Amino acid sequence: MDEILDGLTQIDCDILIIGGGTAGPMAALKAKRKNPEANVVLLDKANVKRSGAISMGMDGLNNSVIPGYATPEQYTKEITIANDGICDQAAVYRYAQECYGIIQELDSFGIRFQKDQNGEYDVKKVHHIGTYVLPMPNGDTVKKALYRQLRKARINIINRFMATRLLTGEGRVAGAICVNTRSAEFLVVRAKAVIMGLGAAGRLGLPTSGYLYGTYENASNSGEGYAMAYHAGAGLANLECYQINPLIKDYNGPACAYVAGPMGGYTANAQGERFIECDYWSGQMMQEFYDELQGGKGPVYLKLNHLAEETVAEIERVLHIVERPTRGHFHEGRGTDYRKQMIEMHISEIGFCSGHSASGVFVDEHARTTIPGLYAAGDMANVPHNYMLGAFTNGAFAGMDAAVFIADVDHANFDMGEVDAERTRVLAPTKRDDGIPPNQIEYKTRRLVNDYLQPPKVTAKMELAQKRFEEVRDDMESGMFVRDAHELMRALEASTILDCAEMAAAASMYRTESRWGLYHNRVEYERDDENWFCHTILTKGEDGKPAHKKQDVKPYVVEIAEDEKDAYANQRVGSSSSVAAE
Amino acid sequence: MPLAQTATTVPVVVNDDLCIADKGCTVCVDVCPLDVLRIVEKEDGKKTAYMKYDECWYCMPCEADCPTDAVTVNLPYLLK
Amino acid sequence: MSNALDLFEDFDDIAELAEGLDDPSPGARIMAVMELADNADPAAIPYLARAISDDDAGVRKQAAQALTDFDGAETAAALVLALDDSDTAVVEAAAVSLTELKDPSAGDAILPHLDTTDDVKLTALLAGIKELRRPEAMGPAIAALKHASPDVRVQAVGVIGWLQDETSLPALRDAAKDADVKVRRTALSALGFSKSEHAEATLVNGLTDPEWLAREAAAETLAKTGGAQCVPALRSVLGDDYWQVRLKAVRSLGKLGATEAAMEIAPMMDVPVPNLRKECAAALGELAVPETASFLEKYADDSDPDVRKNVRWALDKLAA
Repeated sequence: MDEILDGLTQIDCDILIIGGGTAGPMAALKAKRKNPEANVVLLDKANVKRSGAISMGMDGLNNSVIPGYATPEQYTKEITIANDGICDQAAVYRYAQECYGIIQELDSFGIRFQKDQNGEYDVKKVHHIGTYVLPMPNGDTVKKALYRQLRKARINIINRFMATRLLTGEGRVAGAICVNTRSAEFLVVRAKAVIMGLGAAGRLGLPTSGYLYGTYENASNSGEGYAMAYHAGAGLANLECYQINPLIKDYNGPACAYVAGPMGGYTANAQGERFIECDYWSGQMMQEFYDELQGGKGPVYLKLNHLAEETVAEIERVLHIVERPTRGHFHEGRGTDYRKQMIEMHISEIGFCSGHSASGVFVDEHARTTIPGLYAAGDMANVPHNYMLGAFTNGAFAGMDAAVFIADVDHANFDMGEVDAERTRVLAPTKRDDGIPPNQIEYKTRRLVNDYLQPPKVTAKMELAQKRFEEVRDDMESGMFVRDAHELMRALEASTILDCAEMAAAASMYRTESRWGLYHNRVEYERDDENWFCHTILTKGEDGKPAHKKQDVKPYVVEIAEDEKDAYANQRVGSSSSVAAE
Repeated sequence: MPLAQTATTVPVVVNDDLCIADKGCTVCVDVCPLDVLRIVEKEDGKKTAYMKYDECWYCMPCEADCPTDAVTVNLPYLLK
Repeated sequence: MSNALDLFEDFDDIAELAEGLDDPSPGARIMAVMELADNADPAAIPYLARAISDDDAGVRKQAAQALTDFDGAETAAALVLALDDSDTAVVEAAAVSLTELKDPSAGDAILPHLDTTDDVKLTALLAGIKELRRPEAMGPAIAALKHASPDVRVQAVGVIGWLQDETSLPALRDAAKDADVKVRRTALSALGFSKSEHAEATLVNGLTDPEWLAREAAAETLAKTGGAQCVPALRSVLGDDYWQVRLKAVRSLGKLGATEAAMEIAPMMDVPVPNLRKECAAALGELAVPETASFLEKYADDSDPDVRKNVRWALDKLAA
C-alpha cells in the first residue's frame, strides 16, 4: 500500500457526488429515490462509513424548525439578522420549510432525536421566540445509520479517491478527475451532474497548539470543494466572512452556546465576570471575546462551577460522550473539572465554513452553483448557518434537482488535454528525487495565514501575505517532493490550502468596510451600508488570479423591521442598560 | 537536500495481543478519516495495525469500531 | 486497476460470507459478522442470530452490535437471547441494539419476556419495547413499577408515558410519589399527554417535591397538561430556590395565559440570570398585560440580544 502506481481508468455515471460526509449521502439517497434508473456514484477521499464533520457523531440539531416551536419566517429573520442582512433568503426559507421532513426521515433511518416521556420531540429553547435546538441522544450512530441507508439503496460507493479538479465543457459540468490516495492511480469520472459536499476549509489557519491536525473542523476537510469550484470557474460568495469560533484552549471542542448556555453556563473573564451576555456564536460575540482576551482581563473561561451537580453531570454527558469523546480525556489529563474551576477558552484558527458564517460556493435555493449541472451543499456552500441539518436538507435539494437535470442532457464533451495537464500537475512531486515535503509547505502557508490574515485585518499585512503566498507557491510548484501516495494526498491538500489562503486574502482586500464583527474586522474601515450592502463574488480571473464583483442581495422574502437589524450589536455587559452579571 | 528523520510520539496505540489484523481485519485502517493507520508484519510474522503517519484528529472511530478493543486514542502530545 | 468494478464497494453473497462463521478462529468469525452487517441485507439476520450463540464472547458481542443494523421480530429474538449472556459486554451491546428497534413487530419477541425479574434484563427489555408502543406492554410495565431497581422503574414509567393511555394515570400518580427522584421526575414528565384533573393534581403536588429536578419537571409539564386550576401553584414556585424551576414556571404561566401572574413575573425582569430574563420577557409578551410595559421597556436595550429580541417582541404584543 502507498506505492505510487501508474494508472488511468475512466467511468461514466449520471450523477457524481463528491464527499460522503453529511450532504453527500443525503444527495445520493434523494437522487436515487427520485430517479431509480440513475447511475449515482458517491466518492470520498476517506471511507464513507466514517468520513466528514460528523465522523464520530453530533450532539444535536441547532437549527431545527419544527411546527409548533418555530416558523420558517422567524427562522429566516433570525438568520438574516445574524448575517448583518447579507443573505439571499430564498435558500434559508426553503430550508426552514423543508427541514422538518428531513428530521422525520432521519428519524426513520434510526437516528434518534430527543423525545419527551410521551414520545414527542423535546425541543430545547436557545434562541428567543423560536425554539430550534433538538438534542440527539444517540448522535454517535449518525454515520452508521446513513451508511446503512446507502447500502440498502445500493448506491455505488468509491472510497479513498480524492477529486482534484472538475471537468467542464459545453458551458456545463462534465465530470471530475480523481486520484487514489493509496496508489496515485487516476480515475476520470464522466458525469452529467456533479454534486459537491466536501465540507469546510478547516486546515486554513494554524491552531494555537501548533499541531497541524488539531483543528476545529475535521482535519480531512481541507477545502478541496472551494479550490475545485474556483478552478472550474464557479462563483464563491463572501469568503472574507471567516469562520472563527470560541473553543476550549488547546482542545478543539466548542463549549457554550448550545449545550452549556441553556443550562446556565457562560463565558467569563479571568475575574469570573460575565462580559458577553449571549453566547450564541456570531461575529459580534467573537469581537467581544477577542477584545477581552486583548484587553488585560483575559484569559477567557467557560464557567460552569456555579451550577448544580446534576446540571454539570448532564453537560458532561453531552460534551464528552457524543461529538468529541476525547474531551473527557483532555480534562482528565489537565486535572480540570467543570465543578471545581473555570476552563480556559480561546479563539479558533480561521477557516471557511458556512455552517458558522455566510461564506462559500455560491448556490441558490436548489443548491445550484453558477455552473450548470454543478451543485454544492453543506459547509462549503454559502447558505448561512446551515449546520448539520442544513447539510442534510440542502444535500437533499441538490440530489432531487440533479435527478431532474440529468434527464434532459447527455455527458458534456471535455478536452482530454485537461486530464493530461492535471496528471502532470498532480504527479509533479513524485517525479523529483528530493525537495520540500508537503507538511512544510502546509505549515508555512498556515503560519502565514495566522501572522497576516487572522483578524483584525490590516491592509499592509494582507499585502505581505499575498506576496509570501506567491513565494510559497513558487516553492511548491518547483520543489515539492513526496515519497508515496499518502504523501501525495497531503501534497494535493497543501496546494488546496494555499488556494484557499489566497482567496481569503483577496476577498478580504476587496471588501473595503468592516462587517460581521470579528469575522471581517478591517481596522481601517467602518461599516459601509451604502456601498457594501451586497455579496462579494470571487471567481478565477482571466489572468488566473482571483477576480471580484459585487452582487445585490436578493429582495427579502421575510421583511426585517428597522429596529430589529441591530439585534446582534452591543453584546457587552453594561454596554447599554446595565444589568448586574450573575 | 536529504530528508531528516525527526522522532515523533503518536497518539494512536494498538495492543498487538488483541489486534486481529492476522485474520484480515482492517477496520481501523478503513475507518480513519485521515488514513494514518497501516498494517505491518512484526518480527514473529504476526500482523498488527499501527499508526504510520502522525496526522491525527483524535476523533476515535478507530477505537470505537475496533472489534477487539485493541486500539487506544490518546491526545497528541502537543495539545494535551 | 483496469476493471472499473473494483472501484466500488462490494455487495457480497450473504451465504458465502456466512461460511466465515464456521472458521475455527474467533478473529475470522468476528470479521464475518462485520461483513454480514455491512451489506444491510436482511438475509444476514439468521446467520447473525446464530452468532449470538458462538463459543467466543468477542464474536457474540460483535453479533449483538451488528444486529443494530436490522429490525423485526427475528432480530429482537436474538437480542433477547443475548441478554442472558454470561459476558456483560455482550449484554450491554444487546441492550443498546434493543433500543434501536423501530418496527412494532419486533415487540412480539420482547413481550413474552417482560415477566423476568432480573433487573438488567428487564431494564433493557422495557427500554426496547418503549418506542415500539405496544399496548400489551402496559400491564407488565405497571407491574414493573414495584420492582426494587430504580432503573427498571424509570424505564417502566417511560413505557407507560409513550403509550399515552388515560387508564394508566393511577400508576403514574403512584410513580410520582416514588422514593427515587429519577422515577418521580420521569413520571411527572410522562403526565404531559393527559388533560385530566388527576394529572394536573399530581403535577401540582410535584411542585412541592423536595428535589428541584422533580419540581422543574412538574413546572414544565403543567404547560401541556394544566388549566386555570394550577396557576396559583405555579405562581407559588416563582420564588423557588432554583432558577431552573422559576424559569419553567414562568414559561408555563405564559403558555397558559395566566394574566393574573403578569405583575409577579414583571419584576423578575430585574434578575441577573439572562436565561430567566429572556423567558420572562417572552411570557410577558404572551400574557400581554399593559401594566407590564414599563418593566419591559427598561430592558429594550438589554445587553443580551436574545433578551432584547424577546422584549421587543413582547412590547409589540402589548401594543397590538
